Formats: sequence, structure tokens, C-alpha cells
Amino acid sequence: MAGQTNHELSLFSAEELEFIAEDETVDIVPNLKMGPLNFISGDFGPFTPQIVTQVPLWLAIALKKRGKCSIRPPQWMSVEKLTQVFEAERESQEMSDQLPFHYVEISRLLFDHARDNIPDVHMVRPLIEDIRNLRFHKVQTDLEAFNGRTIAVKIKNLSAMEVNIVRPFIGRALQAFYKHDSPELIPDPERVSDRRPQDVNNAPRRQLRR
Amino acid sequence: MAKYYDIDDIIMEEEAVLSIFKKAASGVGIDPSSEIDFIETGSKVELPFWLAHELKLRQAVSVNVPSCFNEKTRSEIQADSAGVDLRSRCPFFYEFGCKIAPIVDDRKIGILLLSAFKSRYKEILTKAHTVAFAAGSKFWTILTKEEINLYETARSAMASFKKWRMGGPRFQIASVLGKKRKSTA
Repeated sequence: MAGQTNHELSLFSAEELEFIAEDETVDIVPNLKMGPLNFISGDFGPFTPQIVTQVPLWLAIALKKRGKCSIRPPQWMSVEKLTQVFEAERESQEMSDQLPFHYVEISRLLFDHARDNIPDVHMVRPLIEDIRNLRFHKVQTDLEAFNGRTIAVKIKNLSAMEVNIVRPFIGRALQAFYKHDSPELIPDPERVSDRRPQDVNNAPRRQLRR
Repeated sequence: MAKYYDIDDIIMEEEAVLSIFKKAASGVGIDPSSEIDFIETGSKVELPFWLAHELKLRQAVSVNVPSCFNEKTRSEIQADSAGVDLRSRCPFFYEFGCKIAPIVDDRKIGILLLSAFKSRYKEILTKAHTVAFAAGSKFWTILTKEEINLYETARSAMASFKKWRMGGPRFQIASVLGKKRKSTA
């Protein structure tokens, strides 16, 4: 029962998520010549000026801070692609799958450290904000329609940060619903008549909320 | 049994419940102001829930529906659950209802709880995630303890996310190091 009162329990902190996101690879254009770097997670190839190299994000940011490279924004971060994603999000209730899992964290890191490397940064930033708000609203509307029979919730293509925010809330809400809608509390005849149309439905046995 | 040590549970079970004694009980002085120390059959007494529950199991009392589930509350809930001030009626509305339902002869409590919770849950969902604290505080005062739990969870998650988004230094100097050290002579 201790977990019930501790609100932070099942939450990654945002900084932890950011740390995990830094493992993603990005392209950089180094402006120095350096031999290969050997790390535990891998070897990152010899750096030659003006040749595009793939490195993990944490390394890219470290190099950028020392002024040794410039970061190329990832594919999905161009204005056209983001506008496209935005339109797609607006149209359908499903989440678009065009954005990578960690897009919130990656975009924040790049805005903080590599602002000059992003073309049209004053347009990209609001676009990403809008996309994020839109997706979050969709999550909320999905969550509104719980009831006691919901055993699991299935929302596709959520990003890491969005999942992290709603994770404890969903757990508690599901628990509360399960408790209140349990069969002992509600008399039997009502339940039986409810269940029959569901069987006819051919729905999957475990009811997953889409 | 898992709730035996739960503080919320203990407090909740203190709620008074009106019960009618079916048998006479001697040697008990529930009402301190009465002269006699036994209770006659058919007398109505306010007992705490834990006591009423035990006595019901022994068939010694019959329990009436407590006041927080009366008709007035029910009609208010049906009209607009989100605005009903459940906290002043009973801060453990849902828990209490769950416990009461088996021992009171009223089948409708479960449904009442469920419908109330469902609509209030929607309100909690939207308000917790979006509204700034000052505007939301009026809503907060009418929630029961369990609902506040949910609300707090969502709100603190949202707040920490916003704080992270603001940016700021990744590492912060520990406050101990901030003070200047006096050189000891």
C-alpha cells in the first residue's frame, strides 16, 4: 500500500528519459580531424572535416559544446515533414507513426544546444509544440472512455515522454475502475444482459481499448 | 487483509452508521447520557462502521443506509456528478460505499458509485492535465480522498514535465557548497 501514496513511484523523471534518448544516432559534420573513438557502446569512426559521421546524440552534443562539429538535424525535423505530420495528426484519431519514439527529448536537446544548425528554427519549434499538444489531446480523449470492463489500454505510436506522463495516472484509474465495477457490487442480472451483445460482437476475448 | 494497516482504511471505518438493534444487548453503554446500561431491541444507535459490520455478521443489528447515500445525494449525482461536493458528505465516499454495499440491503449503491465515478473521472482527467493550479483549486476541494490521489498523480507528472521543458542547468550545485566557507583562525 506504500505505493499508493507515493506519487512519483512509477514515473521516470524527465531527465532520465532525456538521458535514455541521448542514445539515438544523429549525423554530424565535424570540423576537425580525429582518430576513431573507442567507447563501451561502440566505436565511432575516424572524424574527417566535412565528412558526415554517425554518432550517438550525447557525443554529438559534447562535441558541439566544444565547438568541434555542427549537428545535422534529423530527417523528421524539417518544416515540410513536420507540417505533413501535423496535418496527418489533425485528420485521424490514431497517432501518426512518423515521429521517432523520443522526438520530444531529441528536439529539446537540439534546440538547447544546436539552435544555429536547424534551418527555420522559429517555425520548427512551434510546429513541434503543436504536434505535441494535439497528440496529448488525443490521448486524453482515449482515456476518457474507460469503463469497468477495460482490462488493458492500447494506444499505438505514443512517444516516450507522453507515455511517461500518463503512466501512473492510467494505472491508478484502471485500478479504481476495476474496484468499482466489480461483479460483487453490481447485481448479477444486469451483468448478464450486458454481456450477451458483447459475445455476438466477435470482439477479441480480452477487450483492449483502442 | 492487506488493508488492515492502511491508515485511510482505519479512518474511513470510523464513519458513523445508523443501525437498529435486533436483540437486546446488556452491559454496554453506548450512549453515555442514558442511565441504563443495556440497549433494548429495536433501538436506533449510531455505531462506527467497524462495529456495525461485526455486529451485522453476528446478526445482532440491521444497518440502514448511511446519510451520505441518501436520496438527496443521489439526485444531485444524477443531475451533475462533477459539481457535487462529495468531500463534505464523506471524504471516503467510494471506499465506504464499497464496504457498505454488502451489509446494507440496497442493490443500487454499486451502480451509483460507478456512474458518479465515471463522470467525475472525466473531469479530473481534463482538469488535472491542463489547468494551472490556481484555477483548478476550486475543483479540488470537492473531491474525495481517492479522487485526489488520481488528481495529484496526474498533476505532479504534468508539472515535472513542464519544469523540465523550461530547460535549465542539468546539474545543480549542492546547496552546501554555495555558502562561503569562513576560514577558521
